[in-house]
Amino acid sequence: MLGAVFLWPLGASVVASFAQDGQWTLANYGTVARLYARDVAYTIGVAAAGTALTFLVAIPVCGWLRVRAYGPIEFLLKVPLFVPFVVVGHALRVFWSPYVPSFSSSWAGIAAALAWKHLGLAALLLLGAFRGTDDAYLEAARQLGASTGRLTRDILVPMAGPALAVTGILIFSSMLASFSIPLMMGRGGGPQMLMIDVYYRYGQHGDFATASALGVVAYLLAMGAALVYVRRLTR
Amino acid sequence: MRLPSLLAVLLALVVPASAATRLNVAIGADVNVVEVHKTLLGPGFHATASDVELNVVGTGTGEPASRAIYTKIKAQADAGRKPWDLDVALVSMAVASQMVKEGLLSRYVPQMKNAALVKGAEVKEAFGVNVDGYVVPMFHNQIALAYVPSKVANPPKSFDELAAWVKANPGRFGYNGIKGGVSGVGFTMGWVYWKTGLYKELTQGPFDKGKEPAIREAVTALRDFNKGAVITNGNAGTLDALNRGEIWMGAVWIDQLVAWKNEGRMDPAVTPLLPAPGLPIYPLYLVVPREAANREAAVRYIDYIATPEVQARAIVEKFGWYPGVDAEKVLPLISPKSRELLFTGVSAQDLARYSRQMPIKEYHDLISLAYEEIVR
Repeated sequence: MLGAVFLWPLGASVVASFAQDGQWTLANYGTVARLYARDVAYTIGVAAAGTALTFLVAIPVCGWLRVRAYGPIEFLLKVPLFVPFVVVGHALRVFWSPYVPSFSSSWAGIAAALAWKHLGLAALLLLGAFRGTDDAYLEAARQLGASTGRLTRDILVPMAGPALAVTGILIFSSMLASFSIPLMMGRGGGPQMLMIDVYYRYGQHGDFATASALGVVAYLLAMGAALVYVRRLTR
Repeated sequence: MRLPSLLAVLLALVVPASAATRLNVAIGADVNVVEVHKTLLGPGFHATASDVELNVVGTGTGEPASRAIYTKIKAQADAGRKPWDLDVALVSMAVASQMVKEGLLSRYVPQMKNAALVKGAEVKEAFGVNVDGYVVPMFHNQIALAYVPSKVANPPKSFDELAAWVKANPGRFGYNGIKGGVSGVGFTMGWVYWKTGLYKELTQGPFDKGKEPAIREAVTALRDFNKGAVITNGNAGTLDALNRGEIWMGAVWIDQLVAWKNEGRMDPAVTPLLPAPGLPIYPLYLVVPREAANREAAVRYIDYIATPEVQARAIVEKFGWYPGVDAEKVLPLISPKSRELLFTGVSAQDLARYSRQMPIKEYHDLISLAYEEIVR
């Protein structure tokens, strides 16, 4: 079953990425290297910035929520989980455009929108990990005068290290494969996220071979992160 | 005895008695085009052919919408399955030409009563493929420049004047590059025609790799031009930027401009113009797949759409599109008000002089590639 629904199409796209007019070739990867190397770097950069921004907001807020549970804030933090990607892209573009017109289409705007969307997932995973930390550590530190910030930095984050790593990997992989938000917010020129290039190669040119090669590059990027994830799980 | 009678009554209610033929119509275009088929053309046709029921499905917008139709038909062809489940499709020029090349379409136009009205260079050849007899444009769609008259007192009449205007007004001209929709692709092609002076060669072929340096030179000039231009995020993005006043001029689809104005979403003052030496048209073609289950009814439906009265009422008057078939037969049937709306800014003479074809596929791909490599 797994083979039919996952490995078969995956294999088919890998095979297609090495073929052109019925011949085996590396030409599709040549096209990727020639035209899209900059976009690969751009995609990694946006995904890394988005992940960092997600953590920058999620860690202090989740730390605060771990120490003083407050339902309404926790609910608000999880709202992005239920908002579709397209809606996030559209809403933030409309929201930002009048005030900072060029921000929403910039790499920073896309990274910020991706971070907004992934805050819910980060909160879900981080709060679980933080709540797994024994209260005794927190109470001991607080009796010695530690603030909430200090508790988060010196106790919660180090003890939830593995969970933080897994959260980071999941969010980074999801951002690498993001399509709707960059499509809604980006411009028609300049560097693009990889999935936009895949859509362009197939949608505009019907070029399934180069689109597949771009897809394989995206698999490889995500696979690096996934390997770390699997190692964490099996440890 | 009672139960069977009840069942019979229920069955009569559930199964419509008239629908003998169900025509599956796939529309590779925006929702407004799907709506025309559902609410205007479909019911109009049903009134003349009560034996046919329409099942209209939209597949999205832009080139990918036509690709989705191609993918479905190609999959059925590859699987050797017959008959195919699409009877009529509305697809882009690029996809239609590919489907003709791969033998996926039926040569149905000669069977139409209105066959003589299907005229023009674009129904003979598309992207260098002989499509004669395989396609009927539902309407003609022209790429043009649109400008805000209060900001642009003397709109450019040619690409030369446009380049000078953009230099004098940086950040006030927008188009969507080549990744954001076909209006940007069309603008790029128009630019290359102007810079190279190779319109005839690029649209009629044969392909000559020796033309590449001239094309790359033209695209390099476009890169410099882009420094003063805004690259928007799509066809709608350009119109939106025009409407907000972020840009004062942009490359747009005329039909989209008219539709937005009709819906009250666009400043009515925004005016289209066609600069010399011209910009491309990019029609959407009605086609019949080779193994369509209801080919005869499909041809009748397209024949109905090609009728001058239907073209005048549904295509021109209602939506402000240019007629898909012989304009000489259609335009006398429209009201003076519609005529005025249709030709505001872009006259029939402008269309005759400056309406351009898309290049043949090899040149189209070469220009797109050069754009990706040079402009980026």
